[in-house]
Amino acid sequence: METNPEGKRSLLGWLEARVNLTEIVSFLSVFGLLPAELDSRKPLREALREAMSQPLPSYARWPRVLGILSFLLFLFLVATGTMLAFYYQPTAEQAYPSVTLIARDVAFGTLIHQVHYWSAVLFLLFLGMRVVRFFFQGLYARGREIVWMVAVLTFVTAAIADLTGRLLPYDASGYWTTVRAREVTDALPVLGPITSFLVGGSGLDSTVLTRYYVLHIAIFPILLLVLFYFHFSSVRRVGMSRLDTAPAHRSLRVAMYDLLLLVIFMVGGLMTLAVLFPQPFDAMADPFQTPPDARPPWYLLAPLVLMEALSFLPKFLRGLIPEAILAAVIFLPFLDRESGSGARRRLFRNLGIALLVIWGVLSWIGWFLEVRR
Amino acid sequence: MSGARRWMIVVGFALIVVGFAGATDVALAQAPGAQSEESVPPSRVVPAGAKPAKGSAMCGVCHSDIRVKYEKGIHRSEGVPCTSCHGGNANALTVEGAHRDGFRGKPARRSIPALCASCHADVARMRFYNLPSDQYALYQLSHHGMKLAKGDESVAVCIDCHGVHEIRKPEDPKSHVFGRNIPATCGKCHGDPAFRKRHGMKEDPVKDYEEGVHGKAYLSGEDPSAPECTRCHGSHGATPPGVGDVERVCGQCHLKTRNYFIASPHKEAMDAAGQPECAACHNSHKTLALPPEKFAESCLACHDKGDKEYQVALTLSRMKNDASSEIAKAEKLVAEAAAIPLYVDDYRSRLQDARTALLEAAPVTHSLDSTLVEPHTRRARSIAARVSQEVHEKVSSRWWHKVGLGLFWFYLLLTATIITRARRRAAGRAR
Repeated sequence: METNPEGKRSLLGWLEARVNLTEIVSFLSVFGLLPAELDSRKPLREALREAMSQPLPSYARWPRVLGILSFLLFLFLVATGTMLAFYYQPTAEQAYPSVTLIARDVAFGTLIHQVHYWSAVLFLLFLGMRVVRFFFQGLYARGREIVWMVAVLTFVTAAIADLTGRLLPYDASGYWTTVRAREVTDALPVLGPITSFLVGGSGLDSTVLTRYYVLHIAIFPILLLVLFYFHFSSVRRVGMSRLDTAPAHRSLRVAMYDLLLLVIFMVGGLMTLAVLFPQPFDAMADPFQTPPDARPPWYLLAPLVLMEALSFLPKFLRGLIPEAILAAVIFLPFLDRESGSGARRRLFRNLGIALLVIWGVLSWIGWFLEVRR
Repeated sequence: MSGARRWMIVVGFALIVVGFAGATDVALAQAPGAQSEESVPPSRVVPAGAKPAKGSAMCGVCHSDIRVKYEKGIHRSEGVPCTSCHGGNANALTVEGAHRDGFRGKPARRSIPALCASCHADVARMRFYNLPSDQYALYQLSHHGMKLAKGDESVAVCIDCHGVHEIRKPEDPKSHVFGRNIPATCGKCHGDPAFRKRHGMKEDPVKDYEEGVHGKAYLSGEDPSAPECTRCHGSHGATPPGVGDVERVCGQCHLKTRNYFIASPHKEAMDAAGQPECAACHNSHKTLALPPEKFAESCLACHDKGDKEYQVALTLSRMKNDASSEIAKAEKLVAEAAAIPLYVDDYRSRLQDARTALLEAAPVTHSLDSTLVEPHTRRARSIAARVSQEVHEKVSSRWWHKVGLGLFWFYLLLTATIITRARRRAAGRAR
């Protein structure tokens, strides 16, 4: 063992002499856990102490908690998803039996399965809420265009990842949800053919299931990670929030404790949901038997109702409307240029409220409309 | 690259793309799922190069519409010519010449059964086709035949069911006497309100049949062994069964039920009272199965509530009710357990046993003897109760999940307390 400058022998000192620990730990800044890279010329302890005592607005506090919560949930999804992938077999014949095996026979399999399910539900929910929050706090104004676009794209990507995950158990509800969702996506003019190309056809057999699997466990998680990185990178450049004008009192050390507490309560919440409200298990998918309550996932209900209500329009136009709305939301920062006048800002605010209300009403209609059939 | 060469490449590429698209189209068109009507196999096999039967040579020149129908029929492919029914000379070149030599024209309706029987009742002729030759004899005994003999020409003769010129084999799905088409064929007369009014029939047997268990099972294709009209009434010897014969007709399929019924006090009493046996409780055409919770009600049609017979009905009903509700309860529990998911295949097969036992109780019920029924219902009930108990134990043994959750929260809160303290200290130091 080497001795450190104070003359005490330590493992850290021994390692420090052989690898640049500071450089390794500095990598965490990529994932937003450190606000900036560490000074790799200094030893780890010193560099960390320096970083920890820097003043910083805590991101584990309301209202910025949604972003960090969704990132933590993403990490949780990766962890539980990896465990599920050890047992899952992506073929039409074996998918359902293998998921049954996970949920019934593998030790703590149900728990992992349910935590993965609830993490996905909350992940999407928080990302959606985050977009709404960004909108109402005007966090898309000049300088933050990337933050806003990344936030919307993260939600959309997470929704697609959620959609691909629904088919994987190959149970009746998952299968038919995917069928209904594909009805919606296939009606979209540009995105429809792209989706079709990505998943390899409109049928839902073994070959397509493998595509869904690869998209779900590799492509979309990597895409999400890239988007998260863009977000952290952009936030480091433009600052956490326009509203953080007051000097920050908390040091990074305190913020880290806040983060730890957040992780603890999130784990507790997920476990509680998984144990007390387990998602019931459906029968295996039967392509020849449509359950009466087959409907697309919640985020596709509104587009479905919209397109059905506009059935008098040609098919191309019908699909173009939801796409146009999505494009308008993504490119909002360029539509709503801050011109100083409050009237324009108010107009966009009201437009946003109207869009949210219409979205809610259409989803509500879709939920009941689909059941009645 | 010269302009011409570039164009050649573009055109070549386009051709390849079009070629691929074409190949896909062909592949799709030949996909096994794409079945057309033509792919239904022909029901009658006409030997290649078969020519019109000799005795039909010239008839079709004038009677082309009839010839079209005749060509589709079994008589054409088996070589039965026009002249065998209509007489005349098929080789004549003039109308007068053809309608001579024993020409019969359109046979009189009353004479048709005898005309068909001239071949179809001939054992020597029919045996090579493996066809029965007793249809004419049966027909004469049927209500249709007896009424015809009395001069009532409104009854069915051969052609009303089998068709006139386009006579197809009964196995041919396009034939009027193909199993699935029989209710509609009989319904041509018996489903016609005007016809029924003329003959004093009140009920619509065809509509009733379609609403009954037999019609639903048979017409939906769910159970091909369920009866159509002729299985109970006969075809050529069509006659409604008399009061004392109902159990014989129903017993052709419901063997066990019949045995228990004829040994029961109901048989004699019903015959004496002129009640149509099985049909008294289950209806005739609109055949209904009596579910356990309903059947005691149906007894009240003859018995009073105070009778001891009605008490027997209540006992039987209660026994079956208990068993079926116990099974339903167990099924619900098993479905809940399967959704958790727990392993329930074993319970499912045991419940199948219970359902079989309950099913076995149904014929025995017709004996009206509760000591005979009880072993079956008890078996069904006890299997279901045992399954319920075991599933319940298995489901409720998951209580430790909640205890585990409680312990986990305890641990989390403990950790949270420690972290909060550390945080406070860190915040203090920073200040």
